[in-house]
Amino acid sequence: MKPRARWHPWAMLGPSLALLVVFFVVPVVLAAYQSLFAWDMLTPPEAVGADNYRALMARGELWRIVGRTLGFSAMVVVGAMSLGLALAILLNRRGRFFAFVRGAVFSAYVVSWVAVALLWTWMLDPDGGIVAALFRGVGLPRVGFLTDTRFVLPALAAVTVWKITGYAMIVFLSGLQSVPPQLLEAAALDGAGPFARFRYVTWPLLRPTAAFVATTSLIVSFQAFDVVRIMTQGGPANATTLFVYAIYEQVFLNLSVGKASALTVVFFVVLFALATAQLRAWRARGSGAS
Amino acid sequence: MLRRDLLRALAASIATSAALPACRRTRRTNGRTLVTLWFAYGGKNREVLLDLVRRFNASQSRVTVEATYQGDYFEALAKLRTAIAADAAPTFSHVVGEVVPYLARANVLEPLDAYDGARALPLVRALAQSGSYVGGAEQPLVAIPFNRSTPIMYLNGDVVARELGGKIPQTWTELESAAVQLTRRDGDVRWGFEVPISWWFWVAMVGQAGGRVVADDGTPTLGGAAGEKALRFWQKLVHEARVMRPPPGRDYNAWQATNQDFLAGRAAIVWTSTAFLRYLEENARFPVVAAPLPGDVKRSVPTGGTFFVVLRAAPSEEKQGAWEFLRWMCDADQTIDWATRTGYLPVSEPAIAKLDGNGWYAAHPNDRVAYAQLADADPWPWAPTLFRIQRDVIEPKLEEAILRNRDPHAVLDEARAEALAR
Repeated sequence: MKPRARWHPWAMLGPSLALLVVFFVVPVVLAAYQSLFAWDMLTPPEAVGADNYRALMARGELWRIVGRTLGFSAMVVVGAMSLGLALAILLNRRGRFFAFVRGAVFSAYVVSWVAVALLWTWMLDPDGGIVAALFRGVGLPRVGFLTDTRFVLPALAAVTVWKITGYAMIVFLSGLQSVPPQLLEAAALDGAGPFARFRYVTWPLLRPTAAFVATTSLIVSFQAFDVVRIMTQGGPANATTLFVYAIYEQVFLNLSVGKASALTVVFFVVLFALATAQLRAWRARGSGAS
Repeated sequence: MLRRDLLRALAASIATSAALPACRRTRRTNGRTLVTLWFAYGGKNREVLLDLVRRFNASQSRVTVEATYQGDYFEALAKLRTAIAADAAPTFSHVVGEVVPYLARANVLEPLDAYDGARALPLVRALAQSGSYVGGAEQPLVAIPFNRSTPIMYLNGDVVARELGGKIPQTWTELESAAVQLTRRDGDVRWGFEVPISWWFWVAMVGQAGGRVVADDGTPTLGGAAGEKALRFWQKLVHEARVMRPPPGRDYNAWQATNQDFLAGRAAIVWTSTAFLRYLEENARFPVVAAPLPGDVKRSVPTGGTFFVVLRAAPSEEKQGAWEFLRWMCDADQTIDWATRTGYLPVSEPAIAKLDGNGWYAAHPNDRVAYAQLADADPWPWAPTLFRIQRDVIEPKLEEAILRNRDPHAVLDEARAEALAR
């Protein structure tokens, strides 16, 4: 389709482009500029070159934050996808009971993060919480879920998975219900069992859905803030200082705009690299399929 | 013509609004000067402060104070700093003691020396700028004490009477053995001791072990051997004796968790702030006993809480209005009202004399303990980097040392190197 005038496409794209430039490009460019200064917003900024990046790298702080965030994301993406898929398969049935269970599982997704985080803070209390009582009931030792540096990140990932699994389940359910029943019947007639039908019919058709769930879970996990702010405030010993919280901590608690900006730039680069890798993987798969 | 006029009017309004921040005008309401206060309390403290503001507004006809809640201390400070940068700050606010030298160096605080009666306020020296900081009296007066506090020890009176024969620990060694005696691991878990893993309590322990976190000239020494000794004692309570529960969360979340554990009977002895005295007394189902922090080679506590500060950029009339409110707050009646209803320390000498004279301290022995402990208060250095050392260096290192049981010597060496680099 040819535009009537050369400027027409630009006029159509203009509003979106303007929003993108004002709320995305300009802040990133500003952050990149501010990352070259030591500034507390009160005293005049002092040009320090790449010192903010060097300081973050020298103490290994940056790599620890990157590693922690990627680890957290891996747990959340794998957890939400596998649990969401399993629940979708189990609950892909007619009947009021299954409808009720689907609604109950999804309800966690619509509850606010603050309520979820407060609820789980109480449930994970090693002395008075329900989880601790269950542990004691089966003879397991006391675990400081939110105070032990070995368990705290998996604990936050588990809470995040609990919160977003309902959403993954609903998306997988819609994917499952769009699988043509004739294909499954044909496979059954050819002697395929339930596992083989899933492996060779359902799963290939669910791949775009899975890619969508993986992408949205990845975004949620990278943006994790509320759960950290309320449950651990980045502790203990920075074990839950994820990217967004680290940026918040630097700018609002430690009053270091330069360091926070440097972290923002690195955060942008990491996300850009991940998104590019994901797009390439999809394109490669798309061209392979054609 | 019409379009040109419109454009002219638009340009003029933009120019006016751009020029406004540079010359802020005094705000007025009902013929009075409007003075804005940003505060950082929730709950009962907020109610008491708002009540005092109402009374001040009703007591005169020149000034109206408009108080706005801005979150906890750190959230309020972040907002205050952003507002200062945007030239939209309130007339006055209150900030934690460690931040005052930092804000003073940034030249954003109004020197109050020239205000009527400023240097003659009959303040308790240990809580005023002059006594809270080494050399605080030589600095321009920028901070008026408001909700001042110290760390203090609270004990479950029933448990201590029943299981310790009423004996209150006076030293670290006695604290450890009391915590061992009081810890119950079967059935309903009870911890002998609990304290937030926080800079304030570590500073207290460093002082008790005979050290100073920052030298008088501002060099961060982190207590040397005393700093390590404090960390080792803490590690022992958590990992060897297993009598201390590290509360979850950081900052005020950890403090809140400590209070809740104490009130629920899950912790028999806690260290927290004198600020929670009234809250704990009113909400505990057992008698609350307050005691001074135990000593090691000596007794020592840092002061805490906040000071009122007036922002330099505010219009003169507003600053004068803020000063009138501050003077009024330092009067004995208001000081007493604030202190007795919240648990913060009374900041003026006449208020203390009045409380002593009217039998308040005799009827409230816990309040007397809090006040008497001021004799052991060690001043802070007037160091603009103090706040950054606290937030950036010490807080994360404390958790590393205590929760990960890392070698205190190595942790403090790292921390010292980082602090010196600032």
